[in-house]
Amino acid sequence: MTGLDWQRRLTEILAFSIGFLKNKVFKTAFNGYAVRFSPFVENRLAVATAQNFGIIGNGRQYVLELTPNGIVDVVGFDTADGLYDCTWSEDNENILVSASGDGSLKVWDVAAPPMANPIRSLEEHTHEVYSVDWNGIRKDCFLSGSWDDTIRLWTVDMPRSLRVFAEHTYCVYSAVWNPRHADIFASASGDCTLRIWDIREPRSTLVIPGHEYEILSCDWNKYQETVLVTGSVDKSLKVWDVRNPRQEVTRLLGHTYAVRRAKFSPHRENFIGSCSYDMTVCVWDYRAPEDALLFRYDHHTEFAVGLDMSTLVDGLLASTAWDESVFVWQQGMDPRA
Amino acid sequence: MAMRDLVMGGAACAVPGSDGASSSANPMGGLADSLLGGASKTQERLRELPGLAGPGQSADFGGRPRTSLPGTEFENEFDQRASANNSQFLRGFGRIDEGGFSDAWGDAVSGRMMPPVVQHDRQQEEAFRNFESLYPGLEARGRSPLPLDAPPQRVLAGFFRSFLDSSQADAPFNAIPLPELGLSEADKRRIRDRSSIMARHFFADRGEEFVNARVNALLHSLDIDNSLRFREPMGGRHPELEGYWNEAIGGRPGGGRLPDTWAEDFHKHYKGPEPGGWAQEFQAQHSTDSWVDQFGEHQQQMATRGQYRNGEVSNLAALEQTRSLVDTLAQNQDPKFQNSKFLQFVSKMSRGELIVEDNQVKPGVTNDWVNEYQERHLPPGEQWAAEFTAGEHQHRGDTWADEFARRNQEAPSTSDDWVNDFSRLHVQDWADEYAEQIAKNPYGDGSHESWLDSYDRFVGEQTADMQGRTESSKFMYVFADQNPYVGHPNPLKEGQELFRRGLLSEAVLALEAELLKNPDNSEGWRLLGITHAENDDDKQAIASMVRARDADPTNLEVLLALGVGHTNELEQAEALRYLAGWLQNHPRYSKLVPQDVSTLSHSEVIQMVNEAAMVAPEDGDVHTVLGVLYNLSREYDRAIQSFQRALELKPRDYSLWNKLGATQANSARSEDAIYAYQQALDLKPNYVRAWSNMGIGYANQGKYEESIRYYVRALAMNPKADNVWDYLKISLSSCAARWDLLDACERRDLEPLQTQYPLPSVSVTQQRCSCTHCSMGYTQH
Repeated sequence: MTGLDWQRRLTEILAFSIGFLKNKVFKTAFNGYAVRFSPFVENRLAVATAQNFGIIGNGRQYVLELTPNGIVDVVGFDTADGLYDCTWSEDNENILVSASGDGSLKVWDVAAPPMANPIRSLEEHTHEVYSVDWNGIRKDCFLSGSWDDTIRLWTVDMPRSLRVFAEHTYCVYSAVWNPRHADIFASASGDCTLRIWDIREPRSTLVIPGHEYEILSCDWNKYQETVLVTGSVDKSLKVWDVRNPRQEVTRLLGHTYAVRRAKFSPHRENFIGSCSYDMTVCVWDYRAPEDALLFRYDHHTEFAVGLDMSTLVDGLLASTAWDESVFVWQQGMDPRA
Repeated sequence: MAMRDLVMGGAACAVPGSDGASSSANPMGGLADSLLGGASKTQERLRELPGLAGPGQSADFGGRPRTSLPGTEFENEFDQRASANNSQFLRGFGRIDEGGFSDAWGDAVSGRMMPPVVQHDRQQEEAFRNFESLYPGLEARGRSPLPLDAPPQRVLAGFFRSFLDSSQADAPFNAIPLPELGLSEADKRRIRDRSSIMARHFFADRGEEFVNARVNALLHSLDIDNSLRFREPMGGRHPELEGYWNEAIGGRPGGGRLPDTWAEDFHKHYKGPEPGGWAQEFQAQHSTDSWVDQFGEHQQQMATRGQYRNGEVSNLAALEQTRSLVDTLAQNQDPKFQNSKFLQFVSKMSRGELIVEDNQVKPGVTNDWVNEYQERHLPPGEQWAAEFTAGEHQHRGDTWADEFARRNQEAPSTSDDWVNDFSRLHVQDWADEYAEQIAKNPYGDGSHESWLDSYDRFVGEQTADMQGRTESSKFMYVFADQNPYVGHPNPLKEGQELFRRGLLSEAVLALEAELLKNPDNSEGWRLLGITHAENDDDKQAIASMVRARDADPTNLEVLLALGVGHTNELEQAEALRYLAGWLQNHPRYSKLVPQDVSTLSHSEVIQMVNEAAMVAPEDGDVHTVLGVLYNLSREYDRAIQSFQRALELKPRDYSLWNKLGATQANSARSEDAIYAYQQALDLKPNYVRAWSNMGIGYANQGKYEESIRYYVRALAMNPKADNVWDYLKISLSSCAARWDLLDACERRDLEPLQTQYPLPSVSVTQQRCSCTHCSMGYTQH
């Protein structure tokens, strides 16, 4: 090999590695829909994606890792329909569940060879599954929320759901376990209500007609077991206390399009992250006396629909959007830096 | 491979011309059977999986029997369900093409492009090719060549994008006639349901009618029957409200009651009125009458809409709806939307720069779209475009009103009904909003112009290289988070002193503190730029120099530094611009240069600098500029000559030695380069860039051990030099068996590396410096 060839080859390698290092961004093949940090491995995250904005086409479940060379994909599982959400098992660090547009839930084992995956395909929902959430207390079960208006309760060892919660009258966009009570969860729906459920009860225990428009997301405060946040098509977030459900605790305004996802910080009691069809990701302090909006991140160029906050690293955020990118950054820093 | 139902023909519909991969004779089914066996075998398989209990062992799962989950249903039905479920399980595999799941997976991972499975006729392929060649921006958006991304889908993707974009920017949604895509019924249903539901999320405050029109236009283009749309949330909402209503009246469980222990805990804290109180409030907010009214009107509205829908929206009508929003496209000021390449594409379509003819996307007749507009003969199917053309000439702020009136005449009852429904339903009044927008941005005012401008800019960028606008956005100076020099009485002086002593990273902080205090200090920015360059951080160096230029646009050193910086970043046009600017602003050479330097070609600039060198052969800077210019055109021999000539005039300019070395390294004369770098380091021992360049020089010769020493030395001085860590990693992995140190490198732990590769000893000479780069007149260099 001549000196010139070496030079060229070296230049290529350098350009490649520097490119990764400089960009704390991962490009997905399809449009990003959801991102979740692993509860076990601090530099690992799962990303659910769908082709053609999730309207038609295939899906791919990614498992990504943060390395000094930037974000790299460890595994990619292809699916026949788009994937809208995903969640890690709280019990086994290699197990992952994706919510699919064809109504199925795909259970993956990251450690198993591709041929063996998905290790389960749970097919009961009659429409798109839009939300999955693993129980962080019991660790043996998870919830799925679907456009067939129902929420289903599953364990991986059962091919059928254990229970169907069918009270919502329109699409369920989000169903999330309470972080303190193993049997309590909340659900957000296009019927404009937020419902609180206790799986020991036959019916929902509380119905909050939370917004005038569809509610796309909800999440529990990780420190105050009775506090929730909802994000709605009405562009606002509302914080609720179930002890006083008549009136929201506060309303957070600042997004200019529908709020797609809202999440309470695992580390800061009063911090809420949100992402929106206005393409931005925002971090709020809902108890701030003056301006609740702490940060607005403008790094996505299409609808921002996936957001997560690491439970293992304080202030580490991840977002994904229909611009086919996944960003991981530290709160307060520029995601693009 | 392609979407499952495109390939397999779905449950009921075989794709015309599909290559025999129909569901009945599906080889994948056989493969899946052989791989997975029958139902019982699958069960075993499931049981073997690590970390997961199979059905038979489910009691062990997670240490808790599953029956401990309260409220469980269906438990005894499990066995009967298993086999039925299994076939569905297999179906998941059967959807991938003959290659099998693993192949598909492998291909997906390796990124290999797979041949399109859906067969379409020649003409269509031609159309796709044209589409892509006319609009490379679609590709440039980062859509990677995926096996699943066969051409027809790329068309679909673009089409959906236009649909989505139209929500944001008030962009027109041009429902272009698409080629026959062979969508199965199931796919059509999917598109119908999903686009309806999603459209409600992002079009929410435009009102139902708007959403319906958009979705109708989409579905019509895709030739999807829109009479069987997915339920709408309103339809579900009212029965739900009715439920609340009853609960509020009767106090039935489910709404007002908070049962059970968990809820009782809450109850204790519950300070408000009695349960049910909220419902009363709810009642107060939505009094009986209004709710009943709303419900009635809603029903009426549903009926009306049904009528509208069943009255078969013709293609023309759907497009007309779209067309009415073309004007508003211009009104969104958000640069994100203005930069959206697809919006620009859509705009091109709407202005006739691109036309659809026989299912092919073709360019308009001329680039001058106004002329083209007036002259173009439209194919009959493109009547809407003609209509739009006609409309374009008379469009004023009242266009919407006109069109509204027109539609009113066409279907008076329909329009009246829905308008009334709307206002009474308290849906945000989009007509008002629209009028407001129009009032704020009268058609044809600056905002419209600005959009057109931005479009022109986009076109300009496609053909020419980067302009100043992109430069400034690309190179944003990033200040350090924590800066101990903030509050320092004289940070500039401190910065100069630190720079002189060669403490480059510290100097950066001090200079930043100065610039936070005095952001217009040109000298501060310049020195900061030089410091960054010497510290091997080109991006920050350029960002600093850009700020220095903003503060003082004629500073020759700044212009030269920017020329060099952009040359390093391989940005030819930018580099050329600055080097020509250097010439233009130089008091001795400015008369050699025309007024407008922005259009000069590389050879023209070289010619002028050569002339300058004839005028003033004793000026080392001219030769330096020449050397950089030759680097730009990769004429390394000439570049080396120029730098050598400059060095004869300025032998103590360490940055010139470094430039010479880099040029020699680029032309594969690594040994010469090492000598040049050594000269630079003798002059300036803390010259981080020269240390790392030296390392690269050795690595280029295959002397990895040597290269590591130099990288380590550079990193000891500036551990933040990210690219040097990368070089180091490459050398470590190249010289084999140093995986332990590679690990240290990953951790950015320099210590074991320093022990293993001690610093090379160099002769350090401290002399006065005559170079122009050192503001202090000393040297360290």
